[in-house]
Amino acid sequence: SRGAAAGWAWGVVFHFFLVNVLVMGMLKTFGIFFVTFREEMGGSSEQVSWIGSIMSSLRFLGAPLVSAVCQRLGERPTSILGAGLVAGGCLLSTQATSVPFLCFSMGFLLGMGFACLYQAAAVMTAKRCRARLAFCNALARSGMGLTFLMAPFTQLLIELYGWQGTLLIFGGIMLNLVPSSMLLWPVSTDLPQKSAKNQRRGSSVAKKDPETPGGCLDGSTPRELQLHCAQEAPTTERLIPHSREDSDPANPCALGRLQKNPESSSSATSTEAKRSHKTLAATKKEPPQPLLDFSPLKDPVFFIFTWSFLFSHLAYFVPLFHLVARARTLGMSSRDGSHLIAVAGITEMLSQLLSGWLADHNWTKKYHFHVTYLLLSGVTNLLGPLATTLPLLLAYTVAFATFCGGFMALVLPVLVDLVGVEKLHSYLGFAAFFAGIAAMGGPPLAGWLYDYTQTYVCSFLFAGACALISPISFFFEPSAQKWKLKKANL
Amino acid sequence: SLEKNISLASPTKVELTCKLDENTNLKNPQVTWKKGSETISHTSKTKNSWTIQVTISDRSQLGSYTCIVKDEKEISATFHLHVPKVEGREKPIITYEGDRAVMVCKTEHNSKAWTWYMTNGTELVAINKILHADKFQIKRPSANVNRLEILKLTKKDGGEYWCEASFDLGSSKTRFELRVLSITAPLKPFIAVVAEVAILVVTIVLYEVYSKKKGKGREKEFDQIEQL
Repeated sequence: SRGAAAGWAWGVVFHFFLVNVLVMGMLKTFGIFFVTFREEMGGSSEQVSWIGSIMSSLRFLGAPLVSAVCQRLGERPTSILGAGLVAGGCLLSTQATSVPFLCFSMGFLLGMGFACLYQAAAVMTAKRCRARLAFCNALARSGMGLTFLMAPFTQLLIELYGWQGTLLIFGGIMLNLVPSSMLLWPVSTDLPQKSAKNQRRGSSVAKKDPETPGGCLDGSTPRELQLHCAQEAPTTERLIPHSREDSDPANPCALGRLQKNPESSSSATSTEAKRSHKTLAATKKEPPQPLLDFSPLKDPVFFIFTWSFLFSHLAYFVPLFHLVARARTLGMSSRDGSHLIAVAGITEMLSQLLSGWLADHNWTKKYHFHVTYLLLSGVTNLLGPLATTLPLLLAYTVAFATFCGGFMALVLPVLVDLVGVEKLHSYLGFAAFFAGIAAMGGPPLAGWLYDYTQTYVCSFLFAGACALISPISFFFEPSAQKWKLKKANL
Repeated sequence: SLEKNISLASPTKVELTCKLDENTNLKNPQVTWKKGSETISHTSKTKNSWTIQVTISDRSQLGSYTCIVKDEKEISATFHLHVPKVEGREKPIITYEGDRAVMVCKTEHNSKAWTWYMTNGTELVAINKILHADKFQIKRPSANVNRLEILKLTKKDGGEYWCEASFDLGSSKTRFELRVLSITAPLKPFIAVVAEVAILVVTIVLYEVYSKKKGKGREKEFDQIEQL
């Protein structure tokens, strides 16, 4: 059963991978549907592009609502709901006759479905993969690299069956997310009645050996017991048995002896866990869960993270948007442009995996890596305008993709490090919400920059500036943590 | 050689000029304007340019006009005068039975009249004449755009359709291909995918039920061990 726990973690990673492939694939191939919708429905370009905007922005903006749903229902039902929404939206769209209809069926339903799928998958990955979170996250995100296959596939389907048939078949393909969502077995249940038995089973399965071979592990038991502690100081979450982070101050918890000996031998911990849990089950009180947990908004660490997330998102999307156009203005063919995009995609995928693997070694705090990649990416972007020939532009693309892959892979692990897994839902939800606002404003802002300056150089300088601004907030992280600790100990 | 396309819808007078680049130093260039084999005389001439004026009053005057510059080498440039072309859809239009097909025809200039044809075997039959209002609808959203809508499609409606725009100087046509599929066509792969999903779901549910039973059995074991 030890292998079973590791197996379920790989299942979660596979599901997240599939979510990335299908969701990003759908978002990217929307451009192909765009042309067909314009011809059939006869709307203006602007009206039809609303569908795509709603679809991609709801993925982020719907996150706070979805995180509340996830905390109520659990990740697995939410994910299945998300898959259902996406498939239903696709099927409903086959009956569309006008653009507003499509805005609802394709924009709204698909957007909310994507948000559900993403939130559930990301948090589940964080819950299951304690040891190798960065690598597992990078592995799942590499699914985005496969989305380039979706475009020719979609073209083929449209030629064979028209857009309605294609959407029908896509609806079926999205239904595949239902069985893969079923792999998101709950790590622990919220209901106190069931948890006693589950915890017992979980503790016999939990890994006590810190140096585990093999990938992601389910070290949930010691942490789950911490949940029932009266005070939930954020530093207690950091007590991952195998992490080499700074030692935490004294834990006010009743289960002190359990936390202070994280590396103790297996059998001792498991029996202790069982016994102490039995006594705890009698005295435990479930704290009331608010419907929408606004506590992240009072947390300075949240602002640190969101600031960085927002700017790093802008720094990521804007150059990609304008890379091909810049190549064209420098006199290269659009074929070269698409080669650049392909190179960028592959490099990013590889660098994500490398960055994740590297960060998991825990030689230093993960956000140090994150900050380094951001700074390097900023410098690359500032030097970007110097690239005026194809080899130089290629070098820029490779460097940019490497550093972007590096910091993108670490976004989730850094958040988990900062706030822990239990509160991850609400933090991730709100962070995604703010990132969504940035994502909505990013492309128009970049377009406006081009219109105003008549050159793409500004887009790269802007992205470089964003990438350099974004890590500034992390310098405040140690002082924010101390402030929080003081507040918690009062 | 250099070519240029000019679209003309109605009778007009056209001036065609061949101009030599200032940098070329040709000693004694001989320039002739020709339409096919017929030579046309210049109407005006400057140091580096030769112009002809042509009155286009009917379609016989449309065609290709070439200016040939002979010095040491021979360079020629051609103007193609023709009726405005009509734009349609090159790729086949895919529709489903019972659905509606829309074919949109566009030109640059305003057309006098539009005619739609469908093929009956090898003949072209004009739809405008057999206009059943509940089957065919022709709309004209603007002077240079024309829409044919075919309602209640059946398999027989598939095939070639032609859109013809008539101008004073002639007419031009473009081809549409309409394919009518039955609903079962995409339904087959869809049902195949849904079946695969159903199999996976059932497998996972069965596995869960099985492992719960096993787990319960093991828990009973643990309970017994603890009580010992």
